Amino acid sequence: MDIEPSDFIVGLLMLVFGIVGLILASGAMDDEMYVFGLSLFGFATVFEFGLLRRHFDKAEARRHG
Amino acid sequence: MADVGIGVLRPAPEYNEAIVKKFLIASVFWGVVAFLVGVYIATELTWPSFNLGLSFINFGRLRPVHTSAAIFAFGGCALFATSFHVVQRTCRARLFGGEALANFVFWGYQFFIVMAALSYVMGFSQSQEYAEPEWHIDLWLTVVWVCYAIIFIGTLMKREEPHIYVANWFYLAFILTVAVLHIGNNIDIPISVFSAKSYPVAAGVQNAMIQWWYGHNAVGFFLTAGFLGMMYYFIPKAANRPVYSYRLSVVHFWSLIFLYIWAGPHHLHWTALPDWTQTLGMAFSVMLWMPSWGGMINGLMTLSGAWDKLRTDPSLRFSVTAVGFYGMSTFEGPVMSVRDVNALSHYTDWTIGHVHSGALGWVAFISFGAIYYLVPVLWKRSSLYSTRLVAWHYWIATLGIVFYITSMWVAGIMEGLMWRAYDQFGFLQYSFAESVVAVHPYFVIRLLGGLMFLSGALLMVFNLIMTVRSSSTERAIAPQLAAVAAGE
Amino acid sequence: MFIRHELIEKNAFLLLILTLLTVAIGGIVEVVPLFTIETTVEHVKGVRPYSPLEQRGRDIYVREGCYLCHSQQIRALKDEVERYGHFSLAAESMYDHPFQWGSKRIGPDLARVGGKYSSDWHYAHLKNAQGVVPESLMPHYAFLAETPLVTDDIQARLRTLRTVGVPYSDEDVADAAADLRAQADPNGDPSALLKRYPKAVVVPGNGREVTEMDALVAYLQVLGTMVDFADPTNEHLQQ
Repeated sequence: MDIEPSDFIVGLLMLVFGIVGLILASGAMDDEMYVFGLSLFGFATVFEFGLLRRHFDKAEARRHG
Repeated sequence: MADVGIGVLRPAPEYNEAIVKKFLIASVFWGVVAFLVGVYIATELTWPSFNLGLSFINFGRLRPVHTSAAIFAFGGCALFATSFHVVQRTCRARLFGGEALANFVFWGYQFFIVMAALSYVMGFSQSQEYAEPEWHIDLWLTVVWVCYAIIFIGTLMKREEPHIYVANWFYLAFILTVAVLHIGNNIDIPISVFSAKSYPVAAGVQNAMIQWWYGHNAVGFFLTAGFLGMMYYFIPKAANRPVYSYRLSVVHFWSLIFLYIWAGPHHLHWTALPDWTQTLGMAFSVMLWMPSWGGMINGLMTLSGAWDKLRTDPSLRFSVTAVGFYGMSTFEGPVMSVRDVNALSHYTDWTIGHVHSGALGWVAFISFGAIYYLVPVLWKRSSLYSTRLVAWHYWIATLGIVFYITSMWVAGIMEGLMWRAYDQFGFLQYSFAESVVAVHPYFVIRLLGGLMFLSGALLMVFNLIMTVRSSSTERAIAPQLAAVAAGE
Repeated sequence: MFIRHELIEKNAFLLLILTLLTVAIGGIVEVVPLFTIETTVEHVKGVRPYSPLEQRGRDIYVREGCYLCHSQQIRALKDEVERYGHFSLAAESMYDHPFQWGSKRIGPDLARVGGKYSSDWHYAHLKNAQGVVPESLMPHYAFLAETPLVTDDIQARLRTLRTVGVPYSDEDVADAAADLRAQADPNGDPSALLKRYPKAVVVPGNGREVTEMDALVAYLQVLGTMVDFADPTNEHLQQ
């Protein structure tokens, strides 16, 4: 599977952000950090899925194109 | 010498237009949000019962939502959109870093905007003007901004055109300086990594200087240098004329970015900031008038030989009027930086008037000009849906700005004079509360001005949506292709 | 001369470096000496760190954006000094992380509001400003009186402030919660509190728990009171 370097680096970053978000939310001392942590996790997850979708869409387009 | 044959043009690379479109849509959306919140807080100042006794929509929590939305969301997305468009086109290179990085910059920036606004209404703010987001949101912005810089600089480095076009000098200066300012003014220690609350390392007078080094240059680089980049591309493009003077661009660029940085202390005249710093700030602010007007002259004179376009092209009218307001604001600013003028103007609504002549007259108008130009180009439409609507937008918005700034001039000078007035016995003549009552009518007029500005923007939203979706703006396909299609 | 500019235009790295150098100069010249010139912060007596309750009140003042309408900086101008009191010294905000000098007066300057009004007046005014000052544009902050003050992070706050240069002692940090409660208890014994934080004002409170409004009022009541301008030994050195 041929992964573009840009996709790979950003994908890795998203993984880190997602984990950071969960950690922040888990220990949050105030509402703001709780909301931020969960939102960061949500953002990272959705973005990660988006990266996967684009990757496989492009692969399929190449196969059938 | 050249590796291109005479008369043979290399085909343009496939530009990343998707990212430009995304940021354009975001800019228009956030613009409406910013203007709406502005109108609401203006209502709160006019009739305080509109605060409704609620914590999350009172003036203190909503004002940073307005300023962040106007500067970072509306202005920022317009800068992202146009800088990505301009750097690709003038370098003849597709954006560096691939689709994923560009999409991260877009969505990451939207995340920053939403998180910042949410934090303010939830009661979390560093209460440093235009640097209100707490430490964790600042960190996130830093990540996004570094990626922005990588994309922009990377694209410059893979350019096919050897010269870097002047617009890109301004965009580059904006990106680099904002990074330095943001980091410099946000050195904070959180009370815990799990808490949103932090304390800045600096305090008192040093904090004040650092804040206004940042704050004035947020204006100078975010709201000026970046948008000058916009001006240097979109005015020549729309007018179909070259920039008036290359030499002026060079002189104006370097002197502007050098002088602007020093102007911060004019926000601190007569305060506990040492006199030497205040004097430096004043002197450099006055000198700053020259490169600013250099930029204005360069932009306006580019219309040389094409002034009639102002009659026929309402979106160019926005851009050119923007440059006019830019000249006005960059004259008013140095005037207000003079210590004795500032003794009257500081803390009054004159400052608010000055801010909005720049924000509405220069920043918003130059953005509207660029947006109206770009939408048909990017969505491959024959033209805007209605040039008449653009003209309506222009006149309503301009009138709105005039109401806004004149009402604030009167209110501000009135406040300043009332606070320093003595009666015939040598006592202060007016209580503070009396000055509040006196400016109420002008707050009503200001609200009206803001409402007009918002209405103009809503016309723009309608016009742009119709431009993209209406069949009336579909491009006619070339005749030979039509024949082939018919023959199939 | 402009042949050389072509060199910069054709080299992105050079453009980047020269830009960075150009924008660095003004900031360094204006900021660094404020840390190195000793007289920037005047040598006056009386300025002390905020007490725990005052600091919490300050944190509430900061988070609510009070600085957007109220300045805390009396300028060295005749009418201003007459209206508000002695012009503000840099020393008076030396422990203000962040500074809250403000840029706009939609309401009056607060630099020396400490002691000008009774605490009861402040409670009434914060809950419904128009009830006390009919012309006021201030929002209602009654929700502060209904919100209990979160106090379990008070030591973390003081320690962080110590990290950034506020001279809290180990006892100050250890006794922070006790000091905080003592400052909101008019029937208690404030002697330990006052020893650590002279001129701290004990606020009436509601008798049940310490609220956010108690903290804010404690903060407002100390503003501008620390330096004794009548004391002839206080030298106002030129900066």
